Amino acid sequence: MKKLTALLLVTVMAAAILVSCGGASSGSAEYALVTKASGNAYNEKEAEGFVAAMKAQGITSYVVKHPEKATVDAQIAVINSLIAQGVKSIAIAANDANALSATLKSAKEKGIKILTLDSDVAVADRLTFCNQAGVQEVGQALIDAVYDIASGAGEYAILSATSQATNQNAWIDAMKAIAAADSKYKDLTLVEVAYGDDEPQKSTDQTQALLQKYPNLKVICAPTTVGIMAAAKVLQDKKSTVKLTGLGLPSEMAAYIGNDADHSCPYMFLWNPIDLGKLAAYASVALVKGDIDGTVGGTFMMGETQYKLTAVEGTNASEIILGPPFKFDPSNINEWKEVY
Amino acid sequence: MAGKSGRTISAVPVRSWKKLILSWEGALVVIFIAVLIAGRIMSPSFNLNSVMFMMPQYLSQLFIVFPMAFVLIMGEIDISVGSIACLSATTACLAANAGLPLPLMILVCLGTGLACGALNGFVLTVWPELPPMIVTLGTQIIFRGISEVVIGAGSSLKYDSDNLSPFAATAGPVPVVFFAVVVVAVLFMILLSKTTFGRRLYAIGSNRTAAKYAGIGVNRVRFIVYALAGLMAALCALFLLTQIPAVKSDEFGKGFEMNVIAMCVFGGIATTGGKGNLFGAFIAGMTIVCMRIALGLINVNDNVITIVIGVLLIVSVLISGISRFKGKGKAKKKPKSVTAD
Repeated sequence: MKKLTALLLVTVMAAAILVSCGGASSGSAEYALVTKASGNAYNEKEAEGFVAAMKAQGITSYVVKHPEKATVDAQIAVINSLIAQGVKSIAIAANDANALSATLKSAKEKGIKILTLDSDVAVADRLTFCNQAGVQEVGQALIDAVYDIASGAGEYAILSATSQATNQNAWIDAMKAIAAADSKYKDLTLVEVAYGDDEPQKSTDQTQALLQKYPNLKVICAPTTVGIMAAAKVLQDKKSTVKLTGLGLPSEMAAYIGNDADHSCPYMFLWNPIDLGKLAAYASVALVKGDIDGTVGGTFMMGETQYKLTAVEGTNASEIILGPPFKFDPSNINEWKEVY
Repeated sequence: MAGKSGRTISAVPVRSWKKLILSWEGALVVIFIAVLIAGRIMSPSFNLNSVMFMMPQYLSQLFIVFPMAFVLIMGEIDISVGSIACLSATTACLAANAGLPLPLMILVCLGTGLACGALNGFVLTVWPELPPMIVTLGTQIIFRGISEVVIGAGSSLKYDSDNLSPFAATAGPVPVVFFAVVVVAVLFMILLSKTTFGRRLYAIGSNRTAAKYAGIGVNRVRFIVYALAGLMAALCALFLLTQIPAVKSDEFGKGFEMNVIAMCVFGGIATTGGKGNLFGAFIAGMTIVCMRIALGLINVNDNVITIVIGVLLIVSVLISGISRFKGKGKAKKKPKSVTAD
């Protein structure tokens, strides 16, 4: 008899779990966001933006799925579940550029609009990509920061990752091109591009070498999260007058950001994940409504701002560039250091 | 009652409905049906087509459930199966990328699994005093390590999954992997319940020393079981490759050993050995798979799903534990019902 009761209990429990969990979701989902994994603070912020943008448009039929682990395996399971539910669009931050291909193709066959944000997949497998920042925007922001911190004139150096790093080289080339094209930057002199190989120790050594080689150095620009942190520590420990800017993680850089002599970095940049989530939400809706179809040249509105689908360099696939990178300075660093 | 040897065989099956329902396997069937009904109520998308569509990815793990059940019934454990799946997938990809035809690639994959399993079996039978948990922990790290050396840490080995299309095929909505799992399940069930090999597993799990003195080649049986586990892990990898067309050494098959052991335990197989059957393990596996699918369809957070399955596991162990205590108590009160050996 006891066993029968126990059996009944388990059955009721299993059913109750399913039923109670179901209460949380309302109706069928149409717009889906798939993050890299649960517990990824950067992705959580993207999801926050996505949800806020959906609500702002009066849409309730959205769902955010955080895969259990940051693996292809877990993401495929989640996408399959969304296909089975018959959603209309999936925005995904991919864990692998190629391995999701088959799954995304089967989603496409079911008429689901696929777009990516944060990290892209092969261009054939998606309609468009929400890019956190374009090469030109990053280059512009960095050269302007150097100009501003150096008060318009003087020597500056760049501390990069490896000499082959695609992203860093593109940004550095953009900086050089912008500086060459506008006479506003004529008094700035780039003395050296040093490579710290994204290793903390090597980046530290390279920073010290730069300080010794160029006594008149005013600014170091490090467009890499590893490099900027190593340089920040060196400059701050030496109480150097040389200032720093670049691309860095707020959580790692919080201790170095400040406008006084005790801090080495007045401000730096990275992307704003909340806005990226918002952009993905508006792009999803525009794709489903047919305002854009993923071809280059299409436009849609995000609130008051018009966004345009531009071509990914060297292809005719499209991407949407969020805008200039996000600035982290003493006024907001304490809020963002908790985020990522 | 007593036979010529003075031994009694009390396991004359009494087939009554009440008994069937009250057995753990009967309970699992009821739970399984409850999950299906609840899933149907909660999500309109929970239908045959969508369940079958989502099933292949989860189902391939069931291949390992059966040999793992054998290992557990012997009172042992094998935590290297996930790594074996990873290494088998690695060699399979290498073989395919080198241009080997499909049958050869399958052979390479299954051969790798069998070799890994045999290595476990070899170490454990040459040094039978070594604890299986530690030995398979070692090989777990070794196999995944080899795969990491071959692929390179952080990078992934691409594979054109179209080559494996026969494994990804479907008959109507039902995927081939479903039939394969059922066939494997039936084969293992026959092996366990209808052959002397199966009886020997229970004997080893109940009392290894007694089994040895009864003339059972304990080490031979153990070797075969571990080799089988390796082989089935490779079969799992083969079907999984149709789902995941890239192998990453730190991802592929990770945690499978624990998922599989969870399914076995939920299915009423005692980790202490000598108890349980494959029907229970099979239904338990299907219940967990369907539960994952249903909870996924109603968009429950993936981590919550893991918690739900964890709770279910503890409750199932509790219940089977309680009923075992009760059984012992009864036996003491009514000594007459126990036949002396």
